[in-house]
Amino acid sequence: MIRMDLSKSPYIAPFLRNRWPQFLIRAVTLAGFIFTILTGLIGSEVGSNNFAVIFVWIAWWSALKLFFIPLGGRSWCSICPIPMPGEWLQNEGIFKPRRFQSSKRKNWPKALRGNWLQAFAFLLIGLFGAVILTSPRVTALILLGLIIVAFILSLIFERRSFCLYLCPIGGFTGLYAKLAPLEVRAKQSVLCAQHGEKTCYQACPWGQYPLALKSSANCGLCMECLRVCPYDNISVNLRPWGEEISKGSKPTLDETFLGLMMLTTALADAAIFLGPWGKLKAAAYWVGTSAWWWFVIAFLLGALFLMPGLYLLAVWSSTRLARSGSTLRSALTYFSPFLLPLGLTGWIAFTISFAFTKFSYILPVLSDPLGWEWNLLGLSGKASVGEISPLSSFLQVVVIAAGMFWAARTARQLSSSHRQVMPLVMFIASFGIAMLWLLVG
Amino acid sequence: MNRITILVNSLKSFTTQNWFSIFLAAGILWLPLPLPEKPPLERHIRIEASTYQFTPEEIHVNAGDRITIELVSTDVIHGLSLDGYSLVMRAEPGQTARATFTADRSGVFRFRCAVPCGNLHPFMIGKMRVGSNIFLIRAAALGLLGIGVAMRIPSTSFRRPDKGPL
Amino acid sequence: MVVSRVKKVKQEYWARAILLVLIGAALLIPFAGKWLQAVLDDFPTLVIHARMPENGGWSPNRITARVGEPLKLRLTSEDVIHGFSIGKMDEPSVEIEPGKVVEVNLMFNQPGTYTFYCTRWCGENHWRMRGVIEVVGEGTPVVEDQPLYLKIGLDIDAPHPAEEVPSNSVDPQQGSTFARLLPSYAFDKQTYRTSSPAKLWLRLRAEQKLIELSDDEIWNIVAWIWEQQTSPELLAEAKQLYAENCAACHGETGKGDGVMVRDLMPPDTEGHSSGERTRPPDFTDPNHLFGASPALLEGKIIRGGMGTGMPYWGPILTNEQIEALVSYIFQFAWEK
Repeated sequence: MIRMDLSKSPYIAPFLRNRWPQFLIRAVTLAGFIFTILTGLIGSEVGSNNFAVIFVWIAWWSALKLFFIPLGGRSWCSICPIPMPGEWLQNEGIFKPRRFQSSKRKNWPKALRGNWLQAFAFLLIGLFGAVILTSPRVTALILLGLIIVAFILSLIFERRSFCLYLCPIGGFTGLYAKLAPLEVRAKQSVLCAQHGEKTCYQACPWGQYPLALKSSANCGLCMECLRVCPYDNISVNLRPWGEEISKGSKPTLDETFLGLMMLTTALADAAIFLGPWGKLKAAAYWVGTSAWWWFVIAFLLGALFLMPGLYLLAVWSSTRLARSGSTLRSALTYFSPFLLPLGLTGWIAFTISFAFTKFSYILPVLSDPLGWEWNLLGLSGKASVGEISPLSSFLQVVVIAAGMFWAARTARQLSSSHRQVMPLVMFIASFGIAMLWLLVG
Repeated sequence: MNRITILVNSLKSFTTQNWFSIFLAAGILWLPLPLPEKPPLERHIRIEASTYQFTPEEIHVNAGDRITIELVSTDVIHGLSLDGYSLVMRAEPGQTARATFTADRSGVFRFRCAVPCGNLHPFMIGKMRVGSNIFLIRAAALGLLGIGVAMRIPSTSFRRPDKGPL
Repeated sequence: MVVSRVKKVKQEYWARAILLVLIGAALLIPFAGKWLQAVLDDFPTLVIHARMPENGGWSPNRITARVGEPLKLRLTSEDVIHGFSIGKMDEPSVEIEPGKVVEVNLMFNQPGTYTFYCTRWCGENHWRMRGVIEVVGEGTPVVEDQPLYLKIGLDIDAPHPAEEVPSNSVDPQQGSTFARLLPSYAFDKQTYRTSSPAKLWLRLRAEQKLIELSDDEIWNIVAWIWEQQTSPELLAEAKQLYAENCAACHGETGKGDGVMVRDLMPPDTEGHSSGERTRPPDFTDPNHLFGASPALLEGKIIRGGMGTGMPYWGPILTNEQIEALVSYIFQFAWEK
């Protein structure tokens, strides 16, 4: 078990324990969020010249996929502004830690728990993606909708219900956090056994109990447990990538479904946005036309039947090849961890291809956020068209190949023999080669 | 310091155990392949640009071809910018643009619309393939090598769940 | 770390204050910028949003101005590249790029109604993207001369097949050698404007002094007369006008095969009388074009096509531009 406790480092610990650095970052992200909504609503309707579109779908999305998730797991959630107004209200203060009597809200209904809602929310983004990603108005309305819904939910339900069960970003961030090298865990369980009050559980906005935390999927790295624990028994560990899934985690069916959804949307978005098929783009863009309805049908068929069907076939073949006695349902969840590195690397490669060509828009849009011909930073030149450089192609290939290696290794570790892993390997190879063809072929 | 030496040692052992795979990976990516070369031709390619679509969306040429592209816009002003070549064109309906260049670099290059033509303008993309698609073959081979290497790793470092091995 | 109650309250207030300041800044920046820009403007300024005609065209599309007072327009496009120019003023147009703002300073010396229009193809309805500037105030209003086709009562919708066409290619240079034989009306601009090449050929054919010339030589004379009415500079200007405004429908080679009309039926050779929108006629066909007089072509350009899809350029092009264009159009057939 290679672990390095960051909370012991004299350079890092102050930033974790003191509430000010995190608050200042959150204040900035909240102000930025509001600014984004405003520019999206009243600025130029042209996506590439509007702060809302460039910053949400190029800058923030790249940061999320290339840094926040691979390096920190659910680290964006610790500075995300969406739940903050509701949370500050629940705690009755910005710096007040949560206590049992702070908020008397309802529990989230049992039937709606898990990743199902988040998977469907992400599917919706895929269906309307061509319009959302290119229209400042729609982007702004969606952000506004998210923060309003999160606020209303925090008035009714306890803790961060929106983040845990509804946020489409939270869905896959949490899922891929299992692979990431950052985790929060209790240090010595003996101390926790003696502690009756369980202040860490009271303080956690995610409703997690740090002692029982085995998976990083639902921990938002907010550090509240670290701050309130009277025994200083919480550690923030650096750990090797993917260690959580290779240690016999117990994935659930909803996580499996979300993992498959992420694979489908990666392929679909690569085809729609980065492919040369204008008819497909037009079909995805003109919402409400008959072409769009055909696109919806094809997309949903792929996401709900084709991809899960192929996965089912691969898993079923594996169980037949091993002649084991386990049920298909348990095998579906048992093997699902390999979907995670496959999906994460697919999305990273997609982001490299999608966003690198558009980085040249970022500085001009900082200089002229509303498209009103301002020149705040003297950088409002015309953004260049951008192109895929050889370096960017190389990176995409290496990332996908690494993902195929990682997924295959995970699948091999979960299988009892070479024979058993073959169908899974074929699934992995097909996805990897399909992504490669769409991105660099 | 302790942890850094652990990291360095594990990297060293990884390299010595897998030197062959690493060698193979380098070869897959960079070994020049003596493919038969087709003689270069003079080509005239007419590309029509409508909102969000180039027609034809994919063009195949041989390495060394001297290509003249005629860009015809059919609805609004479009442009064409070719990755990897410094080629930028702009065409308005009624005014065909022409440009000539030599396809001296092999591979798959995307060409994009260079003039804002609507919301999906950044995604108005076509593909030009010069020579055979060797890069994709290399990339796929690298991925399959990755899978092959993964198969060699013994599944000892794994604790099965209570349900027992499948 | 034990923090006193007072300190905790103070921290809370600081935190809330910082939050309010940052959120306030976020809310204020766009509005403050707008206000600042309005304050810094020295002239009355109007913001115009350009959209494709299907999405609204010019917003606003009616402007009022006063004679002698400067007016600044801030133009931005919300979708594709547009252009801005004011009709009949022979000033270079400005290109309006999406997400960017260009400024145009206007000053009118005469009251009247001016038309502004889009100068960059922005879809098949591009030519409909026009707006109006009403200029009020003192001064003599702009007076437009009645177009010739109305003065002479010409029915520009009637079909105009050419009675005769040249059988070989023409040589205007050769035609110039017969200048001394020509009657005086051949040099009169009014004759040129009101006669189609075929009609002028028939008139000259019937002249006693030219009776020994061959049919081809008479065609050379007609071609030379047409050439005299224009100049290389005017033709070059007309070529540019044609490429920017006409080629998209009429075709870059004048064949009526432009990109905007590809889906339409081929034209009725007898004129646009069928009621269905068809392609424009082929300018390279002398059978069609040599039956039309310059006045007829001018009339079509000025008035437009009455449902055929041909725009009306009356408020847009100056008379000199229209004359040059007519000469240029005839070149398509002359060069055949």
